[in-house]
Amino acid sequence: MRKISQRLSGRNVLFLALLMALVGVFVVDIYRLEPLLKPLEYLYLFFALLLVFYGIYPLYVHRRLTRYYWERVKKHRLAVAGLAFIVFLVGVAIIGPFLTADPTMVNFKEKNIPPLGFSIQQSLYDVSSDKFITTEITGTAQHPLGTDDKGRDMLAMLVSGARVSLQVGLLATLIAIIIGTILGVVSAYLGGWADNALMRFTDVMMTFPFFLLLVFIIFIFGPSLAFIILAIGLTGWTGTARLVRSDALSLRTREFITAAKSLGVSDTRIVFRHLIPNVLSPVIVITTLSIPGVILAEAALSFIGLGDPTVTSWGVILQAGQRSLDTTWWVAVEPGILLFLTVLAFNFLGDGLRDAFDPRSQL
Amino acid sequence: MKRLLEIENLKKYYPVTRGLLSRHVADVRAVDGVSFYLVEGETLGLVGESGCGKSTLGRTLLLLEKPTGGKIIYQGADITEWDKRQLKELRKEAQMIFQDPQASLDPRMTVGDSVGEALLIQGVDNEKERLERTHELLQRVGLEAGHAIRYPHELSGGQKQRIGIARALAVNPRLIVADEPVSALDVSVQAQILNLLLDLQHEFGLTYLFIAHDLSVIWQVSERVAVMYLGQIVELAERAELFASPLHPYTQALLSALNLPDRKQRERLLTGEVPSPAAPPPGCRFHTRCPKKMTICSQEIPTFQEIQPVHWAACHLYR
Amino acid sequence: MDGVLEVRHLKTYFFTRLGVVKAVDDVSFILRKGECLCLVGESGCGKTTAALSILRLVDSPPGRIVAGEILYQGKDLRRVSDEELRRIRGNRIAMIFQDPQSSLNPVFPVGDQISEPLRLHLKLKKGSALERSQQLMTQVGIPQAEERRRDYPHQLSGGMKQRVMIATALSCQPEVIIADEPMAALDTTIKAQILDILVTLKQSRELSLLFITHDFGIVAGIADRVAVMYGGKIVESGTREDVFDHPSHPYTLGLLNCLPKIAGQRGQLTPIPGTIPSLIEPPQGCIFHPRCERCLPVCTKEVPHEVTISGEHVVACHLYPGGGEG
Repeated sequence: MRKISQRLSGRNVLFLALLMALVGVFVVDIYRLEPLLKPLEYLYLFFALLLVFYGIYPLYVHRRLTRYYWERVKKHRLAVAGLAFIVFLVGVAIIGPFLTADPTMVNFKEKNIPPLGFSIQQSLYDVSSDKFITTEITGTAQHPLGTDDKGRDMLAMLVSGARVSLQVGLLATLIAIIIGTILGVVSAYLGGWADNALMRFTDVMMTFPFFLLLVFIIFIFGPSLAFIILAIGLTGWTGTARLVRSDALSLRTREFITAAKSLGVSDTRIVFRHLIPNVLSPVIVITTLSIPGVILAEAALSFIGLGDPTVTSWGVILQAGQRSLDTTWWVAVEPGILLFLTVLAFNFLGDGLRDAFDPRSQL
Repeated sequence: MKRLLEIENLKKYYPVTRGLLSRHVADVRAVDGVSFYLVEGETLGLVGESGCGKSTLGRTLLLLEKPTGGKIIYQGADITEWDKRQLKELRKEAQMIFQDPQASLDPRMTVGDSVGEALLIQGVDNEKERLERTHELLQRVGLEAGHAIRYPHELSGGQKQRIGIARALAVNPRLIVADEPVSALDVSVQAQILNLLLDLQHEFGLTYLFIAHDLSVIWQVSERVAVMYLGQIVELAERAELFASPLHPYTQALLSALNLPDRKQRERLLTGEVPSPAAPPPGCRFHTRCPKKMTICSQEIPTFQEIQPVHWAACHLYR
Repeated sequence: MDGVLEVRHLKTYFFTRLGVVKAVDDVSFILRKGECLCLVGESGCGKTTAALSILRLVDSPPGRIVAGEILYQGKDLRRVSDEELRRIRGNRIAMIFQDPQSSLNPVFPVGDQISEPLRLHLKLKKGSALERSQQLMTQVGIPQAEERRRDYPHQLSGGMKQRVMIATALSCQPEVIIADEPMAALDTTIKAQILDILVTLKQSRELSLLFITHDFGIVAGIADRVAVMYGGKIVESGTREDVFDHPSHPYTLGLLNCLPKIAGQRGQLTPIPGTIPSLIEPPQGCIFHPRCERCLPVCTKEVPHEVTISGEHVVACHLYPGGGEG
C-alpha cells in the first residue's frame, strides 16, 4: 500500500480520497429514508470530480500549452462566439434557477400570455353571456417570455431546461468519450488478437439499436433521465473508439514511444501518460461535436414522449407547444430557437478547436 | 580492456505474410548474423546506407526488439532471453539516442518532464530531487535550467537533440547506442552536438555504438568502424586502417563515392540498386553490384574473417 | 557575359502574424548557359525560397515577392502574365524537388507523369509522349524502361523515383533546371550515381543548373560557381575554386571548418557558436555579426556591401573594405 501511495502523485491521492468520500456518502444515503441526493446527482458529482482533476487541473499545469492553443482558437471568430454562448448558457443553467420563478408553478389565471412586446387575440367562452369574447392579451414584464397553457413561466422553464440539456449533453458524452478513448487506445497499443477482439466488439455495439434498448428499459422501469443518459453513453462510444484507435495506431510507432520504452517505462504508463494525452486533440473535438447531438437526441426523445416527465427539458416544452403552433406559437418557438443556437454554438466551437489542434493548418 | 557488450550471430527477421490467411511467405532479414564486441570506453562506428539494418541492429542490441536468433552478452551475462523485470535493470546501463529529435520527444510533455520521467522510472521518487537532477543534466548538455519548462516545439533541432542526450544520460548508463544523432541537424549544429558527445564520453567514460550513414562523421568520432550491407557486417577495422586500405569492395565504393571539397574523381561507381532484404541474393549478398565479382561469389557465402590483424572482412577475394 | 537567367535584388518576405519574415533579403545572381550555380547554406537561409521565387511558386499568402527582377529571355518573370508563366514552367525552366516520395502522384504510373509536360507543352499525343518518356527514362539510367514506365511510384526505390523526376524535368528540353536539394533523401552511393547523371546531362545538353544544397560534397562535385547564403542574403560568391580554396567570409570559413573531414585527429570540431538568427528581427548591421569571431564595431551598425576580391569572387563583409556594390 505504501509503495503505491509513493508512486502516485498528490493529485491522484486527493482524487481518490474525495472519490472514497463520495462513495461513502452514496452508500449511507441508500439506507436513508429521505436520500440527500438522487442517484443521478451522484453521477454528476463523480463526473464533475473527474473533470476537475483530469480535465481542468492539467490545463492549469500546462498553462503555456493551453495559452498557445487558445491563441489559435481565438482566430476563429465564430468559435469564440460559440464559446461565449456556451459559457453564457452554463452560467444561466447554474445560477438561473435561483433567480427565476418556479417553473412548475401552475397558475391558470395567467395562462397563455405571449412574450413581452407581442400580443395575441384570444377567444374565451363567457358563460354568462353565452358568447365567445375576444380579448387581446399582451406580454408583460412579469413573464418576459410568456407562459404556457398551464400558466407556467416560460423563462423559468427554459432556464431549468437549459440545466437539464447541458447536464444530459455533458454527462452522456463524457461517458461515451471515456469508454471510447480508453478502449481505442488500449486496442491500438495491444495490437494482435486483442485489438481484433475489441474492434469486433465495437462493430457489434455499433449496430446495437440504442433506441430499442431505451424503449425496452423505459417499458420495464419507467422513464427516467438517468436511463436516457446511460443508454446514450453506453452505446455512443463506438465512433470515438474507432477514431482514437486509428490515431493511437499511428502514434504507437512514433519515436517518442520507442524512447519511453527504452527508458523502461511500463506499458500502463505509456498508455496513460503518453498515448492518451496525444490523442486528446481529436477527442476534444469529437466531444464538442457530440454534445449537441446528445442534446438533440434527448429533445427528440422527449418530443415523442419517451422523455422523463418529471423533468422540464426543452424537448418536453417543445412537445407541449407543437400542438398549438398557430396560436401560442412561442411555447414551441422559444425552445426551438435555443436548441438551434446551442447546437450551432457547439459546432462552431468544435470547428475552431479542430483547426487549432491541427498542426498542419497555419493560423 | 574489458568487453562491455558482445553479440554473436545476432538475427532479427520480420515475417512477410500474404493472402487472406496471412501465410508466412518470407522474412525481411533486417539483421542476418551479426557478430562483434564493444570494448569499454570505446566508440564503434557503424556505417551503412538506408535499409542495411543498422538502426534495427541498434534497437535489437538494446532488446527494444526481440531477437530472432543469436546471443547478446552484456558484461559476461547472456541477456538475450531476459524478461521485462530483468530488462528494467539493463535500461539503467544501456540507453539510446534517437535520430529525429522532433519525433523522439512527447509533444505534450515539457522537456523537463521528459527527462524527469527517465529519472522517475529508475527510482528517483522525490520530486524535488528529480527537478534538481534535471536542471543539472540540462546544464551539462549545454542548455539552461530554464529550458526545462519548454515544450519540444519551442526548441530548435539542436536543442531538442541535447534534451535527447540529457534523457539518455539521466540514468547514468555505461553504453549509449546513438542512432544517427546528427543526421537531422544543420551542419554547424552537427559540430556542436558531436563535440558534446565526445566531451561526455570523456567525462563519464561512456561506450558508444555510433550509427551513421555519413562517412566523415564516422571518421570524426569512431575508433573502430564496422561497415554494414543488407543485414550483415562486411568489414570491421580500426578507423585509419579502414579508410586508408579498405578491403571489401563495398567499403571501397562508399569511400570513393564521397565528394570531398578536395577530391573530384569518382572511380568506382556502384551500379544497380540495393536488393530487397526479404530476398537477399544467394552467396555473397553484395555480388549483384560488385565490380570485382567472381563465380564463387554467387554460390558461397564468404566468412567473416580476420584478414589482417584487427581487420575483419567477409569477401572471397581474400581466402 | 550575359546570363540565361538573372536575378536582381530579389526580396521575398513572409507576412505572418508574428511579424514579417525576411526570407530572401536582396539577393542577386546570374546563371549562365551550360553552367551550374550552387546556392549553399543551412536551413532557414532562404535558398529554397529564392529558388521558388523564380517561378513564382512561393506560397502566397503568406509569402510575397516584394522587390527585385527575375530576367529570363528579356522578360521580367515577376511581371509576365499567368498564362505565359505557365508556358515557361516545366517547359523552359523546370524544377526538381527534394523529396521524390511526395513529388510524384501516387495514383498514376510514372510513364504518365513524365508524359504530362510533353502533352501539355509540346502537344504530343499520348502514344508518342509515352514513347518519348521511355527514351528519357533510359537516358537517366532507369533499366528496362519499357516495363518500368507502367510502374507506380511506390514500386520504385528512392533513387529510381528521383530519376523519374529528372526525366520529367528534362522532357521538354528546358534551358534551365532548378534543383532543390534533390539528393537529400538518397543514399551515399545513389547520390553519386544521380550526381553523375546530372553532370553528364549538363555537359551534353548545355543545361544551366541552379542547384540548391547544404552539402558541400555535392557542391564540389557539380558546381561551376557557388553562392553562400546566410540569413536571406548572399555573403560570398565566386567560382568553385574561389570559395573552396580561398574562403573569405567568416561564415564560409566557419562552415568549411566545422565539417567533419576524413583527415586529422579523432576529436573535437570547431563549430560556429550561437544559432541562426530570427528573420523577423534580424540583428542590426551585418546579419552574421553575433556569431562572428572577427566582428568589428562597424559590423553591428552597417550592412556590408558586396566587394570584389578578384575576378568573380565577391564577398559582403566589413573585413574587406571597398566601395560600391558588387
